Amino acid sequence: MAEHLKSKSITRLAIANRGEVAVRIIRACEELGIETVLLHSEPDTGTRAYRMATKKICIGPAPTSESYLNIQANIQGAIAGGAQAVHPGFGFLSENADFAEACEKAGLIFVGPSAKSIRILGDKVSCKELAKRLGLPLVPGYEGENQEVDHLSQVAEKIGFPVIVKAAAGGGGRGMKVLNSRAECRELIESAQRESLSAFGSSKVFIEKYLNRAKHIEFQVFGDATGRVIHLYDRECSVQRRHQKIIEEATSPSLTPELRRKMGEVAVQIAQAAQYKGAGTVEFLLQDDEFYLLEVNTRLQVEHPVTEEVLGVDLVKAQIMTAMGEPVFTDVNSLTLSPRGHSIECRLYAENPYLGGVPSTGLLGLVEFPEGPGRRFEYGFEEGDTITSYYDPMISKVIVWDETRLRAIQKMIRVLKDTVIFGVHTNIPYLIEILSHPEFISGTMTTRFIEKNFSNPLSAPDLSALEKAAGLAALAKIGGSASVSVNSSAATEKSPWQAAWRGI
Amino acid sequence: MKIQFPFEHLTAEVQAQNIKGTLWLHVNGRTFVYESEAQKKRQRSKSGGASTGLINSPMPGKITKIFKKLGDEVKAGEAILVMEAMKMEYTLKADVAGSLKSLDCQLGDQVALGKKLAQVQPSTVEKSAEKPVEKPV
Repeated sequence: MAEHLKSKSITRLAIANRGEVAVRIIRACEELGIETVLLHSEPDTGTRAYRMATKKICIGPAPTSESYLNIQANIQGAIAGGAQAVHPGFGFLSENADFAEACEKAGLIFVGPSAKSIRILGDKVSCKELAKRLGLPLVPGYEGENQEVDHLSQVAEKIGFPVIVKAAAGGGGRGMKVLNSRAECRELIESAQRESLSAFGSSKVFIEKYLNRAKHIEFQVFGDATGRVIHLYDRECSVQRRHQKIIEEATSPSLTPELRRKMGEVAVQIAQAAQYKGAGTVEFLLQDDEFYLLEVNTRLQVEHPVTEEVLGVDLVKAQIMTAMGEPVFTDVNSLTLSPRGHSIECRLYAENPYLGGVPSTGLLGLVEFPEGPGRRFEYGFEEGDTITSYYDPMISKVIVWDETRLRAIQKMIRVLKDTVIFGVHTNIPYLIEILSHPEFISGTMTTRFIEKNFSNPLSAPDLSALEKAAGLAALAKIGGSASVSVNSSAATEKSPWQAAWRGI
Repeated sequence: MKIQFPFEHLTAEVQAQNIKGTLWLHVNGRTFVYESEAQKKRQRSKSGGASTGLINSPMPGKITKIFKKLGDEVKAGEAILVMEAMKMEYTLKADVAGSLKSLDCQLGDQVALGKKLAQVQPSTVEKSAEKPVEKPV
């Protein structure tokens, strides 16, 4: 490493996370010559990150509240592992100001913004107050302290249905519900409060006007060690189901240069006002060419790879370098940093698309990703690992880059078709349907795209002649253990095996 | 493993793997499974039949809310309980109108896939005769 390191050198970094993002961070550390300490829960020993990390420390049992959300366990683990810094990844403690503060108090560098910045921007209420003071555009809503369900119901009625209720401390779709009428208020507000409490440790929710044909556009921002804040252009994440993103892309197909400039300025303005350091995301809703600031995520985003692909940057490395006080994006400056081509990310969820997306868990068999130019795979589990029901259903991400959006879509469809995951059902057939939909291809989709076009589970297709022949050939060769006899020339109906479209 | 087989005068290839009695196949861009009869039966006995009033757990998860007590009247489509799995909430509803005949789980229980959670005794009353009661939740 360079000798003139300005301030804090990091030689070992702890990862307070799991799955593909833990792998992503380990990779960045390996490239920077930094050792890693994986802070993991009891069942998470059969994971890729566990096999890759320099050191591994078990911080507690499976339930997240006792492991990945346990601040003291993570701090003690990081110290015991000899780390000087902690990277929180996304989800879990990544947006928890108390955790950032506890790290600092324990003498650990928190890879991310200061606890103060997290408090200002991460709490949606105080973020809105700041935006208001700065005169930035906001969606009408209520972010008050009165959390009585009756009161919140009245507020909802006053704003006018549909309204959305969401966790004050959260993100990622948890604790979010759309209310369409007064009758639904009690059940859904209580449900949002419970989800919020279990996912983020606080049941506080707020309510706002639900824009029903809006696009979800977000800007990547980055504050370097010198205090300079820039934006790294936009992503569009309108394809969401129950407010959980499924497909993201960079840049958005919906922005005119004028809108892009204006929104980018607003994003930088709010991050700068909170003295933002590291990677963050400013989310907007865009409807009828009007944009509204939605929230700021004070962390790395799941969909950060699409920004990396179109800009040729490494955001995770940039986060770690910033934590060490080193300069980032040194080959370019914000004036010349400009996106090239188009990138799309698909989140692969372990779920059954033919049963309405019921989670699918179990032992992973063969896992094969078709490598090639402009193809990138971020995954945390391999053959022999088990997908458990304790954590998020996202098992991997597929990212493609190509010169144009249309070609990127074509490439993604091909890559998904050639991806093999055995042992758990995945949403791949669902993703291919979405990518092939005229509304997605035209780029006009809104956040209601899924609700509008994919409200019913996919219907299972019939087996083609090729698939039937493949099934018979496979049964003859390996399907039939001693107890199963298959006469390959006999009709399939006679076989003791029956085709099921990835059915439970 | 990769298996080659003849198809329309050409040689085609399928990726196949037998995982615990389920045969997973990938050919020409699609993945599907073959299940043995024994496996199928095991699965069928786990998941509830249609419109029987039986509520089984559709996934492994935790019971986070129970709206009904034993003997309560329920309407078709009414929420009986809420479970959480993989950080998302799922509301389990009655598929028939009737009364709650049994409740086989408690708040906070960690339940397995296919576990019987509750049973609604279908009412014999005609649909039109059902009294729409105020939602108690």
